[in-house]
Amino acid sequence: MEWLRILALRLLTIFRWRKLENDLDIELRSHVDALAEENMRRGMNEKEARQAAGREFGGVEQTKELYREQRGLPILETFLEDIRFGTRMLVKNPGFTIVAVLTLALGIGANAAIFSVVDAVLLRPLAYQDADRLVTILHRGYNPVAVANYIDWRDQSSSFEAMGAADYWSANLSGIDSPEHILGLQVTQSLLPLLGVEPLLGRLFVAGEDQKGAEHEVILSYGLWQRRFAGDSKVVGKVITLDGQPYTVLGVMPRTFKFAPFWATRAEMWVPNAFGDRIHSREGNSLRIFARLKRDVALSEARAEIATITARLEQKFPGTNRDVVVTPLKQNVVGQVKAPLLLLLGAVGFVLLIACANVAHMLLARSATRQKEMAVRTALGAPRKRVIRQLLTENLLLAAMGASAGLLLAGWGTPALVALSPASIPRVDTIRIDARVVLFLIAVTALTGVVFGLAPAMHASAVNLTDTLKDGGRGGSDGNRRNRLRSFLVASEFALALILLIGAGLMVRSFFALQSIDPGFNPHGVLSMAVSVAGTQESEPHRRAIFYRQLIERVRTLPAVEAAGGINHLPLAGDLWGWPFAIEGRGKPLPGESPMAVYRIVMPGYFETMRLAVLRGRDIAASDDPSAPGVVLINEKAAREYWPGENPLGKHITFDDDRRASPTWLTVIGIVRDAKQENWAEAPYPEVYLAALQNGGFLGEPESHASYITLVVRTKGNPATLSGSIKNTVWSFDRNLAISEVLTMDDVVAEANAEPRFEMALLGVFAGVALILAAVGIYGVMSYSVERRTQEIGIRISLGASRTDVLRLVVRQGMVLALAGSAAGIVGALLLSRLMTKLLYGVQPTDPLTFTGVAVLLTSVALAANYLPARRATRVDPIVALRCE
Amino acid sequence: MAETRGEVLQGTLDLIVLKTLEALGPLHGYGIAMRIQQVSADLLKLNQGTLYPALLRLEQRGWISSKWGVSDNNRKAKYYSLTRSGRKQLLAETENWERMAALMTRLLGRAEGA
Repeated sequence: MEWLRILALRLLTIFRWRKLENDLDIELRSHVDALAEENMRRGMNEKEARQAAGREFGGVEQTKELYREQRGLPILETFLEDIRFGTRMLVKNPGFTIVAVLTLALGIGANAAIFSVVDAVLLRPLAYQDADRLVTILHRGYNPVAVANYIDWRDQSSSFEAMGAADYWSANLSGIDSPEHILGLQVTQSLLPLLGVEPLLGRLFVAGEDQKGAEHEVILSYGLWQRRFAGDSKVVGKVITLDGQPYTVLGVMPRTFKFAPFWATRAEMWVPNAFGDRIHSREGNSLRIFARLKRDVALSEARAEIATITARLEQKFPGTNRDVVVTPLKQNVVGQVKAPLLLLLGAVGFVLLIACANVAHMLLARSATRQKEMAVRTALGAPRKRVIRQLLTENLLLAAMGASAGLLLAGWGTPALVALSPASIPRVDTIRIDARVVLFLIAVTALTGVVFGLAPAMHASAVNLTDTLKDGGRGGSDGNRRNRLRSFLVASEFALALILLIGAGLMVRSFFALQSIDPGFNPHGVLSMAVSVAGTQESEPHRRAIFYRQLIERVRTLPAVEAAGGINHLPLAGDLWGWPFAIEGRGKPLPGESPMAVYRIVMPGYFETMRLAVLRGRDIAASDDPSAPGVVLINEKAAREYWPGENPLGKHITFDDDRRASPTWLTVIGIVRDAKQENWAEAPYPEVYLAALQNGGFLGEPESHASYITLVVRTKGNPATLSGSIKNTVWSFDRNLAISEVLTMDDVVAEANAEPRFEMALLGVFAGVALILAAVGIYGVMSYSVERRTQEIGIRISLGASRTDVLRLVVRQGMVLALAGSAAGIVGALLLSRLMTKLLYGVQPTDPLTFTGVAVLLTSVALAANYLPARRATRVDPIVALRCE
Repeated sequence: MAETRGEVLQGTLDLIVLKTLEALGPLHGYGIAMRIQQVSADLLKLNQGTLYPALLRLEQRGWISSKWGVSDNNRKAKYYSLTRSGRKQLLAETENWERMAALMTRLLGRAEGA
């Protein structure tokens, strides 16, 4: 600790420097004076006495220097001195400083902003206890699981501390203000405790509460508690009404708690999951399985164990246990966005490199004019190391200023980024500029300062004393080494900019390819909203049919409404059910290989409203009611897939379990155009449309997640303006009907494309910045080169070179650099764009059009940036040029 | 750096200063220099300036403390005095020195005898 005290003591002297200097001066002076006095007493005259005193004392200034070294911290003092000096230099050249700082701020700010996103979304662990031991167990890594399989996996495995399951759920909250349809999850008792998050109020479910009959309990999210219960601290124990049933509030989760993190992300309440008689069912896959690995079990061991268990079960129950994958939970959450985010991080890295290159050749140019200063320093005995340190300190200062400005930029840019980011990016709500981001910033800054500063500093310090100090040093040809470095910098800038532009160009092409996809229906002018009957009198099956029909009829009579219809799940935005079916007259399929189709239930008028063409056969009519034979429409894909070379019209299919003796057969009455289903870029799967009025499940299911209809309305003019009158029409039936998901189909389509649009926009911005920086770079270098070659150009002109000759001379020099850089960039882009394959739609990563277009663009920009200094060169007056200097 | 008739090692100078302050009580730099010169009868002559970094070092280690005062001939001067831990250090250093000196004497004596 002794050394620490001394270090602190010496450090503190910095703040008392002036006083300590004064004290030292007094102390030493009085000593020398005393010596001189003594000498005079011995008979010397004053002059002799002083000289003798000086000899005895041994040099006051040297003593002071030794004393200072002992007193303070010489390294730190030199550093501070360098900073003082550097600041003076930067202040003396405001133009240089502003351009350099702005350039760096752009590069560093963009990096900080993107890093804050990458950090929050990708790097930070999920907000559960020991989140890296949490895994999901799902079919193919993302598909849900049947109840009996979950129970078998849970009971037969030993790799996990705990396993739990969650299922979609939602309910109408009524009894307070306007009713609201709230999304939630049904969870097994084991699920919430295995996440390791304590409730803010109350408690979690305990064992037994997920048995049938005891499920009327609910745990609220912080957001729901705040929004609907005004943060009432006595909410625990209260009874609330969900779907018309009483539920006791058991607890409230903390503000940061979110579950599930990758699917059903908007869940705001959790109720116990009572499996009831489903415990033997290996069909109707709907559970998401979550588990916590035991401390001493590796992921690979857990995978092996699950593989063994599922192989055994698959033998016993064929078709039920295929492709079961144990995945780290975090991968489920961030797997989709990892590639685009890393791409963006790489892109801003490139921008920073280009910024560094720009500042580096600004410094190089300046170092030429500072050569004499360096020579003087060296001549006065400064070692080269010391000169480099001085220059690096100046550069770090520059980088620090750039970083501060960049931090401001990031502070403004990050919230903008969050606001623009698509909903599909997880964890955006946790993005912020915090200590980690600032640490990253400091590291980048230090690196930046060294990267752009080291080469120029080495060059500047390597001066040839005699040449530089001789007066003619300036104006001659510039050092070859320096030229080569500068050329290299410009060429690399062009290479980097080209790579970025090609990345952005590919994204633009891909985006337009996405935009030109025909969804099969016409989204313009369509408004949709989910109307839930759960918990109201309309919930009863026979009333529900009447209500749905009357609602649509009444909406049709509204002014500005052209057509109206209804569907169970809205394409692109709603839920999606895949359902196996059987075709009449075909043999029993192997287990797990039944024909499958996306299962839609529609009210008459749906196809007309969506302008989804019925290509063959007929539409569902109002007359297709329970008294009429069952009907179904299929999409083109289903026709091709299941009736190749046959006419599907008139054929019969059934969705009933084959155990039933006389299944309900549905007749295929029409073929509908393929329409987008869940993902915008995905090709459609086979799809069926059943008549709502004939569907007992759709009309009778009491659960709230199945007891709603999505109203679709085609309007004249802006559909959003009609939402008020349509809502009022709904409520004219019953005030307790909950309305949610009020969306225009245009918004739905835009949201489906939000992620590629976001990536394209960001990459485009970065590429634009890169292009500007590269252009500024080549402009700066060429201007400088013209300035340095004024004399030479003057001679050429006086020897008869024409303006065109001079123009060609200068432009050629710049273009050689730009083209060499671009050529290298094309090679780099060919290698790197392959990494983007997964992000691209309808365009190859080596798309020749993009490559050509970008090369042409970059060449034109380089030409323009070269032309200006070249034109200046043609105006050189030979007389002036030869006379000056 | 110090031009001396007898080489002064750093540790030695520390010991001399501590001893001087023990013998004479609080003293300024000039006084210490004079005393060293007087005792060594000019055999050990150091650049008096080098005394000051040494004094600072001793002060930083907490062995001596300093206080501004006025010298006999009415000059503002810094007076140094031995602290308690300085006294302890002096004892330890003296012992150390004596052991070393005895060892050197024995070693050199034997070498001469051989």
